Amino acid sequence: MSRPGFVLDVDERTPPLLVHSGESFRLEEFPLGARVVYPPESLPGVPDVDEAIEQALLNPIDSEPLPSLLRAGMRLTIAFDDLSLPLPPMRKPDIRQRIIEHVLEYAAAAGVDDVQLIAANALHRRMTPDELKAIVGERVFRSFFPDNLVNFDAEDRANLVHLGVTDKDEDVEISKRAAESDLLVYVNVNLVAMDGGWKSTAIGLASYNSLRHHHNSQTMVQSRSFMDHKHSQLHSSAWRMGRVLGEHVNVFQIETTLNNDAFPSQYGFLTKREWEWSLRDQALFLGAKRGIDILPGKQRRKLFQSMEAPYQVTGVSAGAVEPVHDQTLARVHRQQLVEVDGQSDVVVFGLPYLCPYNVNSVMNPILAACLGLGYFFNMYVGQPLVRKGGAVILHHPVPWEFSTLHHPSYVDFFEEVLSVSTDPKVIEQKFEEQYATDPWYVHLYRTSYAYHGVHPFYMWYWCAHALDHVGDVIWVGGDRRAVARMGMRSASTFADALEMASDTVGRAPSITYMHSPPHALAHVK
Amino acid sequence: MTDSSPVTQPRIADALAGQKVLLTGVTGFVGEALLERILHDLPDTSVVVVVRPRGGATAEQRVQHLLTKPAFQRLRTRDGDAAVDGLIGTRITVLEGDLPHVPELPGDLDLVVHCAGEVSFDPPIDDGFATNLHGSLALLDAVRASGSRPHYVHVSTAYVAGRREGHVGEGRLDHRVDWRAEANAAERLRTQAEDASRTPDQLAEFLREAEREHGRSGNLAVADDAERRRREWVTKRLVDAGRERARTLGWTDCYTFTKAMAERAVEEAAADLALTVLRPSIIESALEQPYAGWIEGFKMAEPLILAYGRGELPDFPGVPDSTIDIIPIDYVVNATLAAAAQPPPPGETAYFTVCSGARNPLTFRRLYELVRAYFTENPLEQRDRGAVRVPQWDWPGADRVEQLLRIGERAHKTADRLVTHLPRSGRTRDWAQSLDRQKRRLEFLRRYFDLYRPYAEAELHFSDTHTLALHQSLHPDDVATFGFDSADIDWTHYIAGVHTPAVTSTLRALTGGARRTSTKRTIETSANGNGRTIAVFDMDGTLLPSNVVESYLWLRLPELSGGARTREVVDVARALPRWLLTERRDRGAFLRSVYRRYEGADYEQLMRIVDEHVTDIVLGRLSAAATRAIREHRAAGHLTVLVTGAVTPLTRPVAPLFDEVVAAELAVGNDGRCTGFLATPPLVGESRAAWLRHRAAQEGWDLSGSYAYADSASDLPMLRAVGNAVAVDPDISLSRIARRHRWPIEDWHAVVSA
Repeated sequence: MSRPGFVLDVDERTPPLLVHSGESFRLEEFPLGARVVYPPESLPGVPDVDEAIEQALLNPIDSEPLPSLLRAGMRLTIAFDDLSLPLPPMRKPDIRQRIIEHVLEYAAAAGVDDVQLIAANALHRRMTPDELKAIVGERVFRSFFPDNLVNFDAEDRANLVHLGVTDKDEDVEISKRAAESDLLVYVNVNLVAMDGGWKSTAIGLASYNSLRHHHNSQTMVQSRSFMDHKHSQLHSSAWRMGRVLGEHVNVFQIETTLNNDAFPSQYGFLTKREWEWSLRDQALFLGAKRGIDILPGKQRRKLFQSMEAPYQVTGVSAGAVEPVHDQTLARVHRQQLVEVDGQSDVVVFGLPYLCPYNVNSVMNPILAACLGLGYFFNMYVGQPLVRKGGAVILHHPVPWEFSTLHHPSYVDFFEEVLSVSTDPKVIEQKFEEQYATDPWYVHLYRTSYAYHGVHPFYMWYWCAHALDHVGDVIWVGGDRRAVARMGMRSASTFADALEMASDTVGRAPSITYMHSPPHALAHVK
Repeated sequence: MTDSSPVTQPRIADALAGQKVLLTGVTGFVGEALLERILHDLPDTSVVVVVRPRGGATAEQRVQHLLTKPAFQRLRTRDGDAAVDGLIGTRITVLEGDLPHVPELPGDLDLVVHCAGEVSFDPPIDDGFATNLHGSLALLDAVRASGSRPHYVHVSTAYVAGRREGHVGEGRLDHRVDWRAEANAAERLRTQAEDASRTPDQLAEFLREAEREHGRSGNLAVADDAERRRREWVTKRLVDAGRERARTLGWTDCYTFTKAMAERAVEEAAADLALTVLRPSIIESALEQPYAGWIEGFKMAEPLILAYGRGELPDFPGVPDSTIDIIPIDYVVNATLAAAAQPPPPGETAYFTVCSGARNPLTFRRLYELVRAYFTENPLEQRDRGAVRVPQWDWPGADRVEQLLRIGERAHKTADRLVTHLPRSGRTRDWAQSLDRQKRRLEFLRRYFDLYRPYAEAELHFSDTHTLALHQSLHPDDVATFGFDSADIDWTHYIAGVHTPAVTSTLRALTGGARRTSTKRTIETSANGNGRTIAVFDMDGTLLPSNVVESYLWLRLPELSGGARTREVVDVARALPRWLLTERRDRGAFLRSVYRRYEGADYEQLMRIVDEHVTDIVLGRLSAAATRAIREHRAAGHLTVLVTGAVTPLTRPVAPLFDEVVAAELAVGNDGRCTGFLATPPLVGESRAAWLRHRAAQEGWDLSGSYAYADSASDLPMLRAVGNAVAVDPDISLSRIARRHRWPIEDWHAVVSA
């Protein structure tokens, strides 16, 4: 029986606690009285994944069973989440592969031969053939790539369709193939509460023209939090768009949830509570830490990027988007939700090596900021872990390093935009359109493996709520120049960071440390 | 002269009233000071100046500019700008000319003050004679030709006395050197040196050295450099000849030697004129007039004072208790005018030594203490380093200083050899830069030690009896403004309160004000994007860290099977040493031999491989700063051009950034396979510059307003072809050239990408 998450009060007996910091981790002493939020232990997975899939497809919620939706001569599109999910990538076979294979079997049985698979990568970078193969599996890849297994291209005007506007005048412009299919099957991996629902199709298959209505500083600052779709303006907008989409195309949503087995067994100590570490765990920690620290940068990155999570599937739901998503959220909450009593003056996050946008790549400073202030900060329902005007302390080295292959517009954003202003509103007004329509970025997005020119803006907008809410952001161990460019401060040690934060929160602040990953979602009352 | 009390003379202004004075060397320190004093204090004296037009400015424009200099400020304050600007054509007559090409002179000259001359201590021997001796003679010829019979005041130097020791009186120099023979020999030496520099062996040597350094920049660059080396060689030989000839005859250097020869020649040529020879010692900044601390350019002691203040002069080869004979410029001016006002009878040359050592000696140690006290009190600030701590001198003697200097020079040479062979990086460039700085310092020390050693070790005691008498003969009303009794100089006040602060003020202004930043690239937006401005980029090493061998492997390996792949890599590795040697010699030949390996490759297949495999590698390595620069140029309305020795398929990933791509075109046979030859010659070295100029002529590009970016010395001709060259992560030799030309140096690959 897995234990629920809980909040530890640091006392004399508390050992140093594990903190992630980019491509490393460390043990850190926390001040007495600090609270530590531990996620629930991993839930057991479903005993038979194929059985669970079958069950979901044959007994969908508010929908006909999948086989009865399929007929010969129809046009079927299967869209699926791209490599930004799950993190770390899942040990093979990927859950998407298993579901797609089931769907394709039914389609074949029904004599459907117009089938296209689309990765719902929106403005994310295209995936390489190998990356696509890792998600859909060898068999599907061989049968459909390259003509019928594609990355979505949000700049291919000929393959977009404008479906109309929402009651709030938001354009709904998405993949023409998806919108004009007789059935759109969406295969999702719902790692955190933010994923899934109408976000899958209405965002994953949309163009800039559509995305700009919710991916902007105004909406994002009002999304409190991204992990609570009923209180997130971003999600409300996506839901409105989804309903427009639903009027045009029959969407069969398949959502899956994973447990908290985010790390391979040799890194088991990452998911255990420190005072329960066995001798083996301690030895593994020491060994891993030493080994990682002496590895040259490239090898270290390779080691981390090659990590695959032994995730287990905790459930599969299929059918109509909204009721399916309610079930999904219930399962996500069961795995991640922790009750936390009230806010604190300081919140501490240890940022790991990976975020949704640096799979097989470099976590540049903008992505690090987005991971800390966009994602970790938003891992709450109710109210933020830190009070208004409080301080956020982030552990990450924030190296001044970019992939020019994957993040070309990020480099320029960092040099040309953040050097002018770090205010999301100002940035949006002054620079967004120029980056969004830049022909070179568009060229790279379409033909190479580059995130769209506007993507770094979105990353910065994700931080808008946190930037608006907190009074101070301090990076422990962060590259000073890079951190300063983002208008933040850097401290050499955690103790120094607390010292620096005392300007904002006084000398005896209340402190909460979110012990994550694996994911925990704080329900702050 | 002590036998009779001096006769009081009329006031100088009265004595010279109504006179027309010819002044030479007004653009020099003494000449400028004289002109200022005449204009300021001798209202009824008019001036004729001989000035050489220079740098597009006419003689008159140069004089106009001269009158705006700080020395003339008090005149402007007193008389107003309009009056000063109106002097030219009224009190000042400007004649174009120089020495020895003296123009036709007016026939009513009353006084000639000749203070033009070679100011360098170690000119090539023939230049020394041409300016100091032939110049003076030509002036006298022109004076004579004009019909004037003026009082001729010849400004010489106290150091014409040469390397003697002890008392030096004021009178005709005591030597028997035949100035004509020496002057003729100097001219012959020039011919001989020119001839010697053109022997086949010598020329081959210049060429070899030039090739070693610039071989990769192409033949023309090598030729240019070889010719530069030849000229430098000739100059050095003549400089050496001057110094050695001077020393064998008993003078310290070519300057004092030719000055001494000139005195003798002038004494002969002006035997029938009133002739005054004025011999100042080391002239330094003004004590009072035109204002305390006025100095133009740097004279003799200033570089040393500054070097000391910067902490760069660890010790000095002088004898601490020997005299350094310094005289403020206003004392020299006053003495000159006083002497000018009292012409001697023709045939009885008057000699005046204007010095301080006779009656108010300043020792090296005292000078050092005063300067040291000044810098201890008012240290120079060094950027980011705070106040400089000045060294304490032990006066170890010349030999020990010489030894230290030699060790420094040897260490530098070794380090320099090392650094030029290190792989290029920001750090090696910094090392090279600091080595260069050190080299400049060492060269400075070497030069000054060599030059000053004779002066610093000199045990000369000039006597100034005549000059003192001249001072004492001044009209009582003139003593305050025209006095020049060196006994009244208070050295503490002059050195620590006037001279050293004046010398350091420019330096302080530099470090105290706006920080000097390194040269930065700015992109000018071309008016309405007329397409006349271009920005041309090199690819390998500039846009991305790559080279033709590596990119060859990117292209060839994907289509080969496992075994063939290994074979290919081994073959390439085996060819590498040979290729590297070829590359040092001739980049074109190197490219050809690498491209031979494309023989048999399917061209269409190469294109596909680029799209499928190589694009990621190229874009992943492409410097973000490079893309930004290219895009900035586009945004500014410039045409962007890629010029590379790489083969065309490799440029595909970056081609959308450019309006024109010029790359090596592989020749393709009828079967669609590469022949291993190139369809067009590779654009490297000079051919890039030639291509640019050709296209510029065709398309109407404005190269002088255009930009070029490259990383290697082999790109020099291309960089030189445009007005705005930028060195990107340059190799050591290019980075040195770039610094010399003040080209911006940019680091495009500092931020590592993965």
